[in-house]
Amino acid sequence: MLRLGYDERAAALLVFPVVAVLLVVAAFPILYSFWISLHDVVLTRPLRRPFVGLDNYLRVFADERFWIAVARTTVYTVVTVAATTVLAVLVALLLNEAFPGQRLLNALLLLPWATPSVVNGLMWKWIYDPSYGLLNGLLVQLGVLERYRAWLGDPDLTLLLIANAAVWKQMPLAALLLIVTMKAIPEDLYRAAKVDGAGTFRRFLHVTLPALRPGLMLVLVYETMISIRHFDLFLIMTQGGPGDASFTLSWFIYVETFRSLRFGTGAALSYILAMATFLLSYLFIRFLGRRL
Amino acid sequence: MSGAEDRRAPPPGRAAARRPVAPRLGRGLLLAAFSLLFVLYVAGPVAWLVSSSLQTEAQATAVPPNWLPPEPTLANFEAIFRAGERVVTYETRRQGDPATGGFLPTGAQNLLPSLRNSLVVGLWVAALNLLLSLTAAYAIAVIDFRGRRATLYTVLATRVIPDIALVVPLFLVIRALGLINSLAALVVTYLAVTVPFTIFILISYFEGIPRDLYRAARVDGCGHWGALRQVYLPLSLPALVAALTFAFLTSWNEFVFALVLTQNVEAQTLPIVISGFVMDFTTSFSFVNAAGVIAIVPPVLLAVLFQRYIVSGLTAGAVKG
Amino acid sequence: MATIVCEALTKRYGAVTALDALDLTIAHGEFMVLLGPSGCGKTTTLNLIAGLEEASEGRLLFDGRDVTWLPPHRREVAMVFQSYALYPNKTVFENIAFPLRLRRTPRAGIERAVRAAAEQLEIAHLLDRRPHQLSGGQRQRVALGRAIVRNPAAFLMDEPLSNLDAALRLSMRSLIKRLHHQLRATFVYVTHDQAEAMTLADRIAVMRGGLIQQLDTPEGIYERPANLFVAGFLGSPPINLIEGRIEDGAFRRAELRLPAPRAEPGREVVLGLRPEDVEAPAPHLVPLAGRVELVSPLGSDTYAEVSGPAGTSLTLRVPKGWRVREGEGIEVGVDPARLHLFDRATERRIA
Repeated sequence: MLRLGYDERAAALLVFPVVAVLLVVAAFPILYSFWISLHDVVLTRPLRRPFVGLDNYLRVFADERFWIAVARTTVYTVVTVAATTVLAVLVALLLNEAFPGQRLLNALLLLPWATPSVVNGLMWKWIYDPSYGLLNGLLVQLGVLERYRAWLGDPDLTLLLIANAAVWKQMPLAALLLIVTMKAIPEDLYRAAKVDGAGTFRRFLHVTLPALRPGLMLVLVYETMISIRHFDLFLIMTQGGPGDASFTLSWFIYVETFRSLRFGTGAALSYILAMATFLLSYLFIRFLGRRL
Repeated sequence: MSGAEDRRAPPPGRAAARRPVAPRLGRGLLLAAFSLLFVLYVAGPVAWLVSSSLQTEAQATAVPPNWLPPEPTLANFEAIFRAGERVVTYETRRQGDPATGGFLPTGAQNLLPSLRNSLVVGLWVAALNLLLSLTAAYAIAVIDFRGRRATLYTVLATRVIPDIALVVPLFLVIRALGLINSLAALVVTYLAVTVPFTIFILISYFEGIPRDLYRAARVDGCGHWGALRQVYLPLSLPALVAALTFAFLTSWNEFVFALVLTQNVEAQTLPIVISGFVMDFTTSFSFVNAAGVIAIVPPVLLAVLFQRYIVSGLTAGAVKG
Repeated sequence: MATIVCEALTKRYGAVTALDALDLTIAHGEFMVLLGPSGCGKTTTLNLIAGLEEASEGRLLFDGRDVTWLPPHRREVAMVFQSYALYPNKTVFENIAFPLRLRRTPRAGIERAVRAAAEQLEIAHLLDRRPHQLSGGQRQRVALGRAIVRNPAAFLMDEPLSNLDAALRLSMRSLIKRLHHQLRATFVYVTHDQAEAMTLADRIAVMRGGLIQQLDTPEGIYERPANLFVAGFLGSPPINLIEGRIEDGAFRRAELRLPAPRAEPGREVVLGLRPEDVEAPAPHLVPLAGRVELVSPLGSDTYAEVSGPAGTSLTLRVPKGWRVREGEGIEVGVDPARLHLFDRATERRIA
């Protein structure tokens, strides 16, 4: 029966504004982006936009910079996600305990989360500064280091140092999610484990960790999805350098689009990154979801 | 590492007297050590940012570093608020920082206007975001209508699209509309970014409101608008506060879209102007750090003020999404 | 006040049919109870009458007016819920006044109506409180107050007493019955509690799987259950059911033999015997003997679980004044007229 009842008329009215906004600002651009990726769009030549099929994609795959970017992005994402997760588990274990001052620590946890990523980049860049940075100062004062060095200028360290800044900002949300999961573990499980003779470590291994699975799953997927497309820190801290040491995919997209003004290949790159993100989260849920 | 330790009932009778002290002491020390590490890691970097913003350029760039400001000075903040009074040229740059010979960045006078832009955009986004999300979340959470799932998935899908994939086409669309370098373009863009998340927070909150209250309101004489206004709105204040805060913070902190969609002082937001300072390597460090502190203050204030709402909102939204 | 007519009312959720072509006429001023286990369609029926859900098919009439597509706020029905559903942010006064405010009743009228309702329900001293400061019984009185202030076409009650403890449930039950007598309004009352249904109803509709199994007065449903489901659903402890077949004008199962003169021979049947339908043996009764396995004294009555003839296990009410012990034999008498017979295949009652 095709009849619009009161409910459906009301729902249509209530939902319309959001759907309209999302269609204009999200759905349309996504489709438009696909169209662009199939055309040779160069901003300096606005009238000629020939259809080139999959040429943009093929050109990207043939570009050695793309494979460098894939490698850099992989290293950066793996390090960031792994460090964030491990740190978040530790922090969650700490803040799940009841002790004086615990509420204050909880409030402090929101500090990195609320910090704008630009300030985060600026702050760590200042700490890593080759001439005046705190990291140099600290290590020299401790006698670990003999003289100041250019941390971000070391191609072996750049990605790790940027990842450190990212972890600092991302860890709180991950820890919050894990705390919520921990709070949901029934107290009786711990009592049962104690009665069965399990010590603190075994209780963590056999009660906490298994119950943490859904939370860890969520953290892994979420952190991967956002780390893989980090951009702000790279622009502020290294601009892809030194050399190509921090030349990641999102930095590649930015350079290709807004410096070289090759929008076609830029859009193709964006699509590849988006697809990779989707695929990764799918694989995570598919394979880790069962075993984790 | 459970919380069980603390809630354990005291053992009966004489057993209490023989309870060992050592493990409890050990636990206390362990907690204290971890707490200290936690505080150092989380608050240390920001403390250093604040500390160096209160130093003169010479003090901030001293070797070895001054961990605390030797003579705390507000000169850097003063320079920010007075930067608009003069045009910064090569000749006057040196005079910018009254405390030392540090350079003022060329864009110093853009800082205050960008602060205003950030505030304006943030407030608009927060308000519009709430209006849009509220009605949609109510419809999706409460009304059983054809297309409910489709609407839900549309919202879900837009939430998982990477920003970077949106930047290029959005830039072209907004350029075609002649809206490049306008606050309106930023507001609309940030709505697309924040609305899906807000909708998820509100849906999960609305679903926690007993269904019978809705039924009671409807038979008592409320239409859908009435039920939303009379029942759901007054009962969702925590979620609404969380949603407003998130929307404001997201728009205050956002960088990529602002970078691409704005060009000058008319529409540039605080992160853009600050990023300009950072990449200008002749810049005075203490001045830039002071600018960073200013950018950090509003979000941190909001976070502290609404901590409870934010935590529940964040986790609810994330779990649902 | 209204006569409510459901015509082939159907509600489907996807492939699931929650309510299957329900035909039901509720007379003006009648107290109708919809009784059944969870998922039987009774709450769906109530929601459809209230307009809280839209029917997939069929029509709904209030006093002859088609209201099938009328949203709830235009139907003028009042509802009381199991969870009370008081607005937590409003005071008791504002909770009761809410429906009147939505109807733009003048201020003085609201004041008068709320006071009157509160007096009637003995909650006048609670008007300034908020719901969380009230006990369960007080909350339900407030919910009733919210319903009676506005002279609705019908009162719809969705298990209103299920969240209350046993003692309170009894007193609220009589309160609701009194309200019905005073208001002379149409009540539709949903419950899974047979005692509530029996005490409150003018008529009971026993439901299962979206279908009405039997529609009758409480006595009719108890004395003449239309099928095995109704027989088993009403009665506590439940009716004893024994499978067997009809031979030579009697119910037979191995050595067990009970007279059933009107049933046709050869039929596979189920015999129903209510625990309370046994007495001390007497000449006009059929004797039934067995061994007591378990004795459950309830104070007013004592029930015994008895392993009877032909491998049956029966629950029987021990006749007044008897003392029985576990492990001992027992012999009671059964009035053949009080036995129920059902067809084993169709599960229907055999007249």
